[in-house]
Amino acid sequence: MSSEVSERVAEPMLVEDWERLTFRVNREAYRSPEIFARERVDVWLRTWLYLGHETEIPDVNDFKVRTIAGRPLIFCRDTEGQVRAWLNSCPHRGTVLCRENEGSQRRFQCFYHAWTFNNDGTVAAIPDDGAYEDIESLQKNMMLRAVPRLEIHEGYVFISFNPDVPPLLEHLGDAADYMTMIEQQHPSGVTTLPGVQLYSVRGNWKLAVENAMDGYHFSPTHNTFVGYLRESGFAVTDDNQYAYNLGNGHSLLVLTGHGGRISMIWEPRFGEAEKVRTEEHRAEMVERLGEERAHYIADESHILFVFPNLLLFDIEGLSIRQLEPVAPGHTDVRAWQLVPREEDPESRALRMKTVVSFVGPGGLATPDDIEAYEAVQRGIEATRGAGELDYSDMSRGMRDEVKGEQGRSIDEGAMRGFWRYWEEAVGGGLEVTGDRPASFLEGRDVR
Amino acid sequence: MTQADVRGSVEVAGRTITRGEIEDFLYEEADILDAWNYDAWLALFEEGARYEIPTTDYRGWSLHAGGSFVDDDYDLIQARVKRLKSRKAHAENPHSRTQRMVSNVRLFPGEEEGTLRIRASFVVHRARDGQFDQYVGWYEHVVVPTQEGLKYRLRRTILGHEALPVGARLSFIL
Repeated sequence: MSSEVSERVAEPMLVEDWERLTFRVNREAYRSPEIFARERVDVWLRTWLYLGHETEIPDVNDFKVRTIAGRPLIFCRDTEGQVRAWLNSCPHRGTVLCRENEGSQRRFQCFYHAWTFNNDGTVAAIPDDGAYEDIESLQKNMMLRAVPRLEIHEGYVFISFNPDVPPLLEHLGDAADYMTMIEQQHPSGVTTLPGVQLYSVRGNWKLAVENAMDGYHFSPTHNTFVGYLRESGFAVTDDNQYAYNLGNGHSLLVLTGHGGRISMIWEPRFGEAEKVRTEEHRAEMVERLGEERAHYIADESHILFVFPNLLLFDIEGLSIRQLEPVAPGHTDVRAWQLVPREEDPESRALRMKTVVSFVGPGGLATPDDIEAYEAVQRGIEATRGAGELDYSDMSRGMRDEVKGEQGRSIDEGAMRGFWRYWEEAVGGGLEVTGDRPASFLEGRDVR
Repeated sequence: MTQADVRGSVEVAGRTITRGEIEDFLYEEADILDAWNYDAWLALFEEGARYEIPTTDYRGWSLHAGGSFVDDDYDLIQARVKRLKSRKAHAENPHSRTQRMVSNVRLFPGEEEGTLRIRASFVVHRARDGQFDQYVGWYEHVVVPTQEGLKYRLRRTILGHEALPVGARLSFIL
């Protein structure tokens, strides 16, 4: 161990060795305030960020208040029906404008000096505006401050604080179709529900990303949940399951051996009535989408990570998870259930129960994931400043990568892809030894 | 909400249940949970009972019109207990140390024949991993008097938080 413990961030961030087939990540990436500050600028204020789902604000004048990249925002649908993202800060002196978490209103009034704004951003009233020289330009200059970019794909609303960010679909790339697949599961489409899981973990946001792309942890970490599945008559296997890098930092796990899928793959714990409904729904999907498309949508579970803050779990049921880094060792998490707009009440009840039995801080599985992030965040203190020792290993599957074979869900290739993309954005150094494979397997387009 | 008991008791199926009995039931459960005695806890439920914790943004919607933190039917309550007794429930191995305070206990006639409703406030202190969390909220339980004492038909915990604070989780029974 090095005798000198330095607070300076040691380089390089990533060490890739194709002779020894190792890939290592500098643990400062999880705990350095300096790197956290760089990420804020080079990732969070530069790329597209998931804000929320259109169905959270279904009616005109609906709004939610939400902090993204540390910035308090108002996510609303204006009186004309257009989706908006405003900085939740009065242009006058910066006061938080809307202090309710959610609601419905045409105007937002700052309590401090009673400046009032329409939900399309225009000034509705500035009390005693005769004191200003040019009222017209005052009103123009004092419009609500918009987040520079907002685009929507399949109901998922993304924003960017960077006015020059490329179009959303360009950023989403192959990830876009996996979002479309969720929308296509049911003829009525899908909607979020109220009842958002708001929790917060003592771990770096990237640990949550790694965990979602890490099929290797499933059996040991979720031992008790796997036991519950087995007892309810469902076999769980890691065979023939793969992990993909989709480019632009996005990644995908394709799972075919973990649990059933409500209304798509029946399993005994879902009951006999659900079996009939599942068969009927499959026939409807084939009719509407064709055999092949129905197969990709129904028969595979997908865990999709959209860089940097969105995780879509298309597994037993559907859920959206949003990551909001607060500090290097503190991440706020928000999770929504996504359901078909029209669904048999029994299927709905089964879906809700099944999803919650797994996901969230009160589920039978997620608490063990949270335990893992938090245990890593505490454990890596042991190697702080210890040079070579202060790296985490993510080498699983490099041997297959050299041979050009698709990485398995229980390998670490999706994580390596994430980290390479992250390092390109944030910097810190990537050291490569030996010959990299001619190209990494990237993308999975089944359109 | 139906009219509260002004005399500290309600009539259920020809029996008079007093607030003292209900308080004893809740205090006993608090001791059982603080002592990590999950078999005894499971025995407080009738078959078919439910355990629910709505999310912190709960606004009174019907059960499956919104997401939850816990949405356990009786099978899942059993699975949860089995999990918590396992050494492989990593989030609770080692166990959280908890200390529960229950107060403001009120009784109401139940909507279903033979049941009564309980409303009570709680504070649960939890220590683990060098951290100390507090959970506050209230219970809205439905219980049934039986030959073997009171049993839960619905055990419902409503959180008073705006969001779960950092490090808090519901891996133990709240």
